[in-house]
Amino acid sequence: MNTLELMEPETHATKTKEVIQLPLGILGFERVKNYVLLAKPNEEPFLWFQMLEDVKRAFLVIPPHHVLSNYQPDISEQDVEFLDLINPAEALVLNIVTLRGAMKGTVNLRGPIVINRRTLIGKQVIPANAAQYAIQHPLPVS
Amino acid sequence: MLILARKPGESIVIDGRITIKILRLDGDVVKVGIEAPTSIPVHRQEVYDEIQKANLEALNQPRLDLPRLSPSKLSSPASINGIKKK
Repeated sequence: MNTLELMEPETHATKTKEVIQLPLGILGFERVKNYVLLAKPNEEPFLWFQMLEDVKRAFLVIPPHHVLSNYQPDISEQDVEFLDLINPAEALVLNIVTLRGAMKGTVNLRGPIVINRRTLIGKQVIPANAAQYAIQHPLPVS
Repeated sequence: MLILARKPGESIVIDGRITIKILRLDGDVVKVGIEAPTSIPVHRQEVYDEIQKANLEALNQPRLDLPRLSPSKLSSPASINGIKKK
């Protein structure tokens, strides 16, 4: 089993508004299959994972290393195959943030969104080791 | 609900492409093997329910100012396991 390094989301993708396809949708939103990833300059490292079918609705997401330095979700063989991840560097991992009042929020570390940078196909996966991570992990606010 | 009696080692086939096999009984725990195409998501019910609920909550949150994060975690990239280099 290899470990891979995750890079920052490429701003190139957000500038050109490339469509990210989630053939299975996000759990609870299975019918919405097309998203774009938007970065706003003064909001980094947060990003918006916006529904293409309904531009008013977007998940606030964050690359997980901003939250937990040793986050290592175990992705199943089935998910690796589904996402056609050949090279570890292809995987972009984002976790959904829920704001809970002024300057407070939590991050779902149990259901990361994994996107193949090459194919722009993604899936909300439940890692094999999900139980060791919190579904409401506190944001490290300063 | 369709109810079928199965012994360890026996299977159920759904739609010709999903196989559910009873592997073994261990006290009150049943080990089940599931073979399905990768396009069919398979989840433990309680985990699925929990993540679905979290997703709904995240999308329906009020729009607030984004918090400033403490910079201490920025240096170390996360990693995921499970991808084998071919």
